[in-house]
Parts: sequence; structure tokens; C-alpha cells
Amino acid sequence: MRFGASTFIWHSPFGDESVGQLADRAAGLGFDVLEICIEDPALVTAAAVRDAAEDAGVGVSVCGAFGPDRDVSHEDPEVRRGAIGYLKTCIDLAADVGAPNVSGPMYSATGKARLLSPEERAQQWGWAVESLGEVAEHAASRGVGLAIEPLNRFETDMVNLVEQGVRLCRDIGADNVGLLIDTFHMNIEERHIGEAIRAADGYVRNFHACENDRGAPGSGHVPWDEVAQALRDIEYDGLVCIESFTPEIKEIARAVSTWRPVAESGDQLARDGLTFLRQKLL
Amino acid sequence: MGQFRYAYNQLVYYGEDVGTSIDRVARFGYDAIELAGEPDDLDAAKIKKRIADAGIAVSSICSIYTAERDLAHPDADVRAGALDYVKRVADFAAEIGAPTIIAAPTACMKLKPLADRDDERRWAIEGLRAAGEYAAERDVNLTLECWNRYETYWLNRLDQGLELWQEVGLDRGGVMGDTFHMNIEEDDIAAAIRRTGPTLNHVHLADSNRAAPGEGHIDFVPVLEALAEVGYGGYLSFELLPPSADPFGVMQAGGHQDFLDRYTEQAIVKIREAEAQLAGATS
Repeated sequence: MRFGASTFIWHSPFGDESVGQLADRAAGLGFDVLEICIEDPALVTAAAVRDAAEDAGVGVSVCGAFGPDRDVSHEDPEVRRGAIGYLKTCIDLAADVGAPNVSGPMYSATGKARLLSPEERAQQWGWAVESLGEVAEHAASRGVGLAIEPLNRFETDMVNLVEQGVRLCRDIGADNVGLLIDTFHMNIEERHIGEAIRAADGYVRNFHACENDRGAPGSGHVPWDEVAQALRDIEYDGLVCIESFTPEIKEIARAVSTWRPVAESGDQLARDGLTFLRQKLL
Repeated sequence: MGQFRYAYNQLVYYGEDVGTSIDRVARFGYDAIELAGEPDDLDAAKIKKRIADAGIAVSSICSIYTAERDLAHPDADVRAGALDYVKRVADFAAEIGAPTIIAAPTACMKLKPLADRDDERRWAIEGLRAAGEYAAERDVNLTLECWNRYETYWLNRLDQGLELWQEVGLDRGGVMGDTFHMNIEEDDIAAAIRRTGPTLNHVHLADSNRAAPGEGHIDFVPVLEALAEVGYGGYLSFELLPPSADPFGVMQAGGHQDFLDRYTEQAIVKIREAEAQLAGATS
């Protein structure tokens, strides 16, 4: 099991100018992996990320950020095409920096949580399957996987439950497609968090260990013993990443809606969370 | 009978005749119904007769803080309209004998301030104070509600509610907790109830996914234990809603059938089971 820290804990948008400092910070706090989110591909070059990660001695995990124009299930084929292009860019970057997956809620635009008729829903799902099938093929050619993330009801209307995520993976039907599951979202949506993790058996490619309020893991009421048991049950040995969002972030503030500080500082949150997760999960 | 009084919020009976809703709530053994705060749509005299016939009470009025009903709005006319709304809800509550109306400093689903935060705070405090004084004259109490991060940028945790409430400085009324929101925002739901203590004057119950207890993962025994410990004497009202960012849209399309008889029954059965465990543990 490897532990990662998301750059969102400290900073946004991520780019070459901050990668050195962030990689050093994560390494200094004892993390194995720095998870970066490609909000603006123009700010990120593979060489800079690879060099900084190598210098710091951390691996890299790559996430996508899905604004309104990065929507693979949009009714406009041009928008879908653009979103597929963005995902391919992320995949190429992942391949070039040695990240095993591109992770994130890549089936739709985040924050698109409007009401659809069953017919519209089926159509949207079909576009997601079709688009992500093409994306998965490109990913396979670069030796990269896709880790699809279910989000809670306030962030998407499409994939809220692990069960729905597994169905999407099956419908895409590619070996390199699985899930990123996140305890923050599971706490809102799942009947039983441990059962939900077990239901994802065979599909988990990335795991976000987040507290119910996105504070330091261990500081809230996520049932961590149940989470630990379920991860053992499915013999998960991959990346466990802490994701939180500094309230100082302006660009993504609305999507994640973190309005109050959930820890004294990003460092404190990362340090306390890592200590706790090592003790619970290892 | 147990030590708590239970209510079910009318909101999720969307579009149903209020008489039918009152009868359902009574049939499953609730002490009261919580009514949606749309006084213009409700006939107080008729409802008063219906609840008397059904043998239940109105626990509270669940005010609806639409974008225009914003006590912290920079436009003084909007603020005046919002204050007028709270007063009309208070009048309705008084007429119908409901002891409590839900209050919020700003509109629901508003995710960023429209003005300087200090100004917003000042306006909200002025509005809540005026509304609270008006309600008090009618023997009605305000209860300040905290919502999860996706519904407001302002009061997410009960300690934030408590702080604002203290600044409002009314000598009656208090702060409320909703277990659905608290499951997202609080470090420990029971501990947050204890910290709010005697200022807690209303409670919404829902499981972690906003369905009836038993559908999610909240353990209600420690929640009830904390309520008993702080001497909570108000109603426990189930505010259940469909799993969507737009629950009203879902209901308009008919997606709330489980929340009628099925969850109305399940909610009270499950919470009484939890209450029985509590009694068993303390006796």
C-alpha cells in the first residue's frame, strides 16, 4: 500500500511553477506519492513533473478536473470530442510521468447535477460509455488505466454509488478501466461503507481516504475500522490518497464547497492524516 | 411511551393534500407534523381542525429560504421582503399553535456572499433579531438551521450556528441540528449535540443518505443518548428527501413514492427501536 497526498491540500491550480515545492513537501511529510490534478494542461509539462518527483523521491498520481467544457456525456458531440481530447492529454502526461492511472469523475462535468428523464439519462450514459471506451483504448496504448470516481449527489447526477460505478466499468468493458472510490462521497451516499468497498472488489485502482468533512482522516466519524477491514477483504494494495481542499482555493471552491478551514493548515492535515492512516491501514 | 416526541416533515409529501398528509402521519403514530413554510398555500383554520381530528399537533414550520428570502441580501428591499416572509411564517405558526419556526441567515443554495461578509452578518443579525422579537410576541420561537456545504457557504456546523445565535441575542429560541447535514459536517454528531446543549431547540432526523433510518449508516442510539443527556424537550422531526441536488425536481417527477407510507412507517419504527435500546441501556 502506498500513501499519497493531493496537491489540492495546499494549492490550486497545479502547475510546473509549484511542482518542486509540492513534491518536496509531500516527500518531507512521509508520503510515497504526490497526486496532481490537471486543471489547466497549459500549466503542466511532463518533464518538470517527472524531474521534481524524481528529485523528491515520490511517485506521481494524475487526476483530471472536469469543468463544464470537459463533459464526455454532453449532448453536443463537439463538447464530447473536446473532453475526450482533454482526457487523452491527461493520459499522455500520466504515461510520461509514470503514473499508473488517470483518475477522477470523468463521465460528466462536475457540478452537473440536474434532473433528467429516464430517456435522457440513458442517452447520457450511452455517450459516457462510448466516449470513455475510446479514451480507454488510448490509455491502454500508453499503458495507463482509468480510475472512475463516483461523487455525491451535490456534485453529479450520474454516478453516486459504487454500484453505479461498477456498472459503468462493465458497460465500458475494458481491462484497464476501474474505480477511484472516496470515503467522503461514500459517507453521504452508501448504505454501508464497508459493503460498498467490498462491492468494488476487482475494480479499485485508486482510493481516496478522506474524513467526512474532508478534515484529517481520523478527526471525524468515518468508520475507519470498517474501511480497513473492507480494504483487507478485497486485498487492496494500491494507492491510498488524502484529498482535501484548502478554503483559500478560488478556482474550484464552488465545485467542492469547502468554506471553512477543516484543519489548522494543509501540513497539519496531511501529517495527522498520514499518521492515522498508517496506523489503521497497514 | 418513550421520552421523545416525533414529527414527520410534510415537504416530501410534495403536492399532496395536507389533510391526507396529516392523516398519514397520525396513522403511523407520530405526535406531530412539520409543515412547509408557505403560508399562502395553507389554510390555517382548516388545518387546525384536521390536526385536532387526527389527534396530532404541528411541531414546527419548515421555512423555505428561496433566493429572494435572504435576510443578508445587500438590497434593503430584498431584506425587508425576507423579514416580512419570516413574520408571515410566525403569524401562521401562532395561528396554528406551532411552537417553532426554522430560520436561516441567508438563502438556501446560495454558495457565495453577495456583499462583504461583515455586512452580511450584520444584516442577518438585524433581521433575525427583528423576526425573533416579532415571533416571541406570538409565543413562537426561531430555530437557526445549519446546512451542509453544498447548500450554504455560511452556517455548516452547529458551533457556527451557536456563535451567530449568541450574537443575535434573543432570550428565547435556539439552534437546530439535522443529522443529514451533521453527517457531512460534524466531527461527531452526538458530541455536537452535547456542545450545543440547552440552546438546541429543534432537530431534524434523517439517515446519512437522507432516507429513513435503516437505509444509511447513522447509529441513532448515541444521537438519542446525547439528546437525552442535554435534556432535549423539543420534537424530533424527520426531514427526508430524495437523493438529488434537486429533490423538488425529483418529487415533481414522482420520484418520492418510497417516502410516503413506506418511509413514514419505517422512520418511526426504527427510531423507536433505537429509543428502546437507549432505555434498555440506562435502566
